[in-house]
Amino acid sequence: MSDTQWSRFMVFQQAGEGEPLMHNGTVHAPDIEMALLNARDVFVRRPDATEIWVVSAEAIYSRTREELAKTIARSAKHDEAIPKPKLEDYYVFGKLSEQGQASQLGEVEASSTDAALEAAMEKYKDRQVLRWYIFPVSAVLKSKPGEAAPMFAPARDKTYKDQAEYPVVTMMRQIRATGHLEEDK
Amino acid sequence: MKKALHNPLAQYLIALADDELILGHRNSEWTGHAPILEEDIAFANIALDEIGHARLWYELAADLIGEDKNTFPDKQVFFRPAQEFRCLQFVELPKGDWAFSMLRQYLFDALEAQRLKGLMESKHKPLADVAAKINNEEIYHLRHTRAWVTRLGLGTDESLRRMQAALDELWPYAQALGAALPGEIELVGDSLVPSSSKTFVSWKKEVSAFLKEANLKTIEATVHEVDRAVHSEYLGVLLKDMQEVAQTEPEASW
Amino acid sequence: MYGADVEQVAIELNEDPQKLADFEARIARGEKIEPGDWMPSEYRRQLVRMISQHAHSEVVGMLPEGAWITRAPSLRRKLILLAKVQDEAGHGQYLYHAAETLGASREDMIDALLSGQAKYSSIFNYHTLTWADIGTIGWLVDGAAILNQTMLARCSYGPYSRANLRISMEENFHKKQGQEMVILYSQGTLKQRAMIQDAITRWWWPTLMMFGPHDKDSPNSGVLIRWGIKTRTNDELRQDFVNQLVPDLQACGISLPDHELRYDETSGNWLTGEINWEEFWQVLKGNGPANAERMAARRNAHADGLWVREALAAYAATHN
Repeated sequence: MSDTQWSRFMVFQQAGEGEPLMHNGTVHAPDIEMALLNARDVFVRRPDATEIWVVSAEAIYSRTREELAKTIARSAKHDEAIPKPKLEDYYVFGKLSEQGQASQLGEVEASSTDAALEAAMEKYKDRQVLRWYIFPVSAVLKSKPGEAAPMFAPARDKTYKDQAEYPVVTMMRQIRATGHLEEDK
Repeated sequence: MKKALHNPLAQYLIALADDELILGHRNSEWTGHAPILEEDIAFANIALDEIGHARLWYELAADLIGEDKNTFPDKQVFFRPAQEFRCLQFVELPKGDWAFSMLRQYLFDALEAQRLKGLMESKHKPLADVAAKINNEEIYHLRHTRAWVTRLGLGTDESLRRMQAALDELWPYAQALGAALPGEIELVGDSLVPSSSKTFVSWKKEVSAFLKEANLKTIEATVHEVDRAVHSEYLGVLLKDMQEVAQTEPEASW
Repeated sequence: MYGADVEQVAIELNEDPQKLADFEARIARGEKIEPGDWMPSEYRRQLVRMISQHAHSEVVGMLPEGAWITRAPSLRRKLILLAKVQDEAGHGQYLYHAAETLGASREDMIDALLSGQAKYSSIFNYHTLTWADIGTIGWLVDGAAILNQTMLARCSYGPYSRANLRISMEENFHKKQGQEMVILYSQGTLKQRAMIQDAITRWWWPTLMMFGPHDKDSPNSGVLIRWGIKTRTNDELRQDFVNQLVPDLQACGISLPDHELRYDETSGNWLTGEINWEEFWQVLKGNGPANAERMAARRNAHADGLWVREALAAYAATHN
């Protein structure tokens, strides 16, 4: 058996109620349940999440604006005689700014990832998308709303991770002024 | 709560704290040595939570016996000799291999989940509140360790062999989880804490079924030792290391 | 390389001059290069090298500090140190991801580290001898890392820039918890003062070496600056660091192990003596005090974890 670092899963995170989910990074995990748990441990160490999703990197279809410009000449020709495959729901994420990560735009229904991308480009044509990410809704594992407390609250209590907990500026000021620290800490 | 019960409850809480402290300490030994980077992060998180829980229980105990909650926890942790600790031998055992640590964590988390159900109903409100807070973290721990036990039990022949070996070693020590904690006898009647033997029965039923699904066999075991005042040879060594720096300058602020 | 004409560079690197010119124009406009965008092979190669080295440093860096978690002298310090080391693993994780976006595999990167082929920051090849070393590492080593990471957050490659941004936000706590300890112990008992003075004495010069060779001896810098991977030089960052630390350390009554240290009125800089470059190259080559130990620890963890990784891969294969 070959040794691997397991598969990659992309992680999306919602920083606050009602906000769009943002692509955060990836985790290595053997399966999607472990991916969700790992994502929580890797990305929710600072208290700013209300929901996280994980998707296998292989399930994600991604295209940049540049790549699309090269292939835009092709038109979607549909042969009416061929039965269409089943329609599926796809999530659409897009990178909207140079420095930013992909954020959630919405959903489309389509019969393939190519068709989903075309549908997305039409539906969200007023958004300046630098890079598209498309993946089936069925490929996602999400943290459930009822799980929010165990998933996200504990990180908020770990105040020792907050740089504001360390009064070094005050301490240096005291030393410079008096040559020592004040007694009560 | 009757004044006479303050001290027994404090002793009960110190025992809970000691378990969390020593187990958290053992878990922290994995940091930088876990099988994969994501687990260095995940297991360190569990260790952080446990040491945090220990601190909460020590602070609660301090309030009951008129000690300063800011200094009492460190006094308990860094300045008591081994014979005064009230943790189970179960948590003192060295970390072993990954199978051992994951299984021990699962067994402990499963027991804590049962016990916290009772503690969240405690008539002593500060205790019920702390239990509720801890419960949030424990729900997550249990999900994590259950996932590991299942995967290691049903993974490869090698992982199953190691898990079974770990279970064979841990199961006798785990029976002590059912023994009454210090002070418990006086507290149960006043609905301050749940009964350990009842908690244990629920625990045994749940974990036996779960372990079976992971292809693991439990054997009827006689418990090594139920008295929390009697420790393994490992505790002394652990404490010498843990207390070393603090004891070089006992009066200093670190 | 830095100021050379793009045509010339294209010839040297065997790249299409137009593509290269467009690429450089994007960077000049402040655009981020993202995975999938065209980039010269040399850009990709340099980044994979830099990013994986950075990732390895975080992971190896867990070891010297991790060794003291069991001996932390208060519950608060224990929690802080455990959280800090956990962060370092997290940073390694973000960085490996950034390198993966360039096509590198984590398996290959880890193999390169464990075989001794890949480098990591030389600072982690020193031993942590006392508890005071932990505070020292926080203020000095993490302080130095922050300067570097703040610069790299402006890097032209999107994923690496974002990884450094996220790391910088978390690193502040690392530096401050260390600084708090150093200040506290420098004003503490006689034993504590002696302990912290000894720690600073041992870590000062290795920290200065973290910034790398002098600019004139740094072979990679030209192309890194040309393509916006680095925006400041080794010597510039090192000078910033010295200017930040010296006055504060001296205010705490800590003396620095440098007889030639002096303040230069004209430039406003603290000038140091010469770094022992022989030591630097030896440590980088693998002959530092703790090189063998660090590598052994990582190899053991990896080898001991093999059955675990295999077990979970096997479970996933049969339960999907």
